[in-house]
Amino acid sequence: MATQIVMDGTGDTRHYFDANEQKALAKAEERFKQLIGDGFTAAKRTGAGQVSRIGSFDATAEETLFFPRLVGG
Amino acid sequence: MFWLDRNWVEARARQKILRALSEIFSREASSEARGLRLLKSWLTSEQLAQFEAKRYFDVIGCYTGRHYRIHYGTANNVHLLDTDGPIVGRCFVPVGHLVAGDVMLTQKITLETNELAALAVAQSFLPQQSFPALPA
Repeated sequence: MATQIVMDGTGDTRHYFDANEQKALAKAEERFKQLIGDGFTAAKRTGAGQVSRIGSFDATAEETLFFPRLVGG
Repeated sequence: MFWLDRNWVEARARQKILRALSEIFSREASSEARGLRLLKSWLTSEQLAQFEAKRYFDVIGCYTGRHYRIHYGTANNVHLLDTDGPIVGRCFVPVGHLVAGDVMLTQKITLETNELAALAVAQSFLPQQSFPALPA
């Protein structure tokens, strides 16, 4: 089961989907595009503690994390 | 009789307020805990050990190769380090009201994958606390 994790005020919201299911995959891709359009950055885990940013939907990513855009504090 | 009624109403009101406050506190505590769980699951084993022991962890900027220390917190919690310790603070945070674990994870990922984006928005500040220096 793949997961899209979206950071928010509750800690995070998780969306689980079966990457082998076409309909679920399409919905996940749509969510990805929507979040990126809203200004979120997406990252996927590439190893233990290793992360890479992704600019387009990766159907093979087990976990994709979305965080809001940055501002100076 | 009226006195008894009034006491009963006041007691009920107090109970309601306490219940509402307790719900708010537990919701916040659980958001905080969720954020920390998420952070810990995305740290390297070295960063996790460091964080468990000291409530901060170090990352290496992907562009400059410089060391940063991310402390537990939601603002003014990132310091650029050299072998003598922190040189300057860099404040950059995700927009919105995120819990500490989420803010720290965002800072880690950004420094490790897109350091220049962090530096482009970061505000500098003077580190006010003293932290252990990096090993030479």
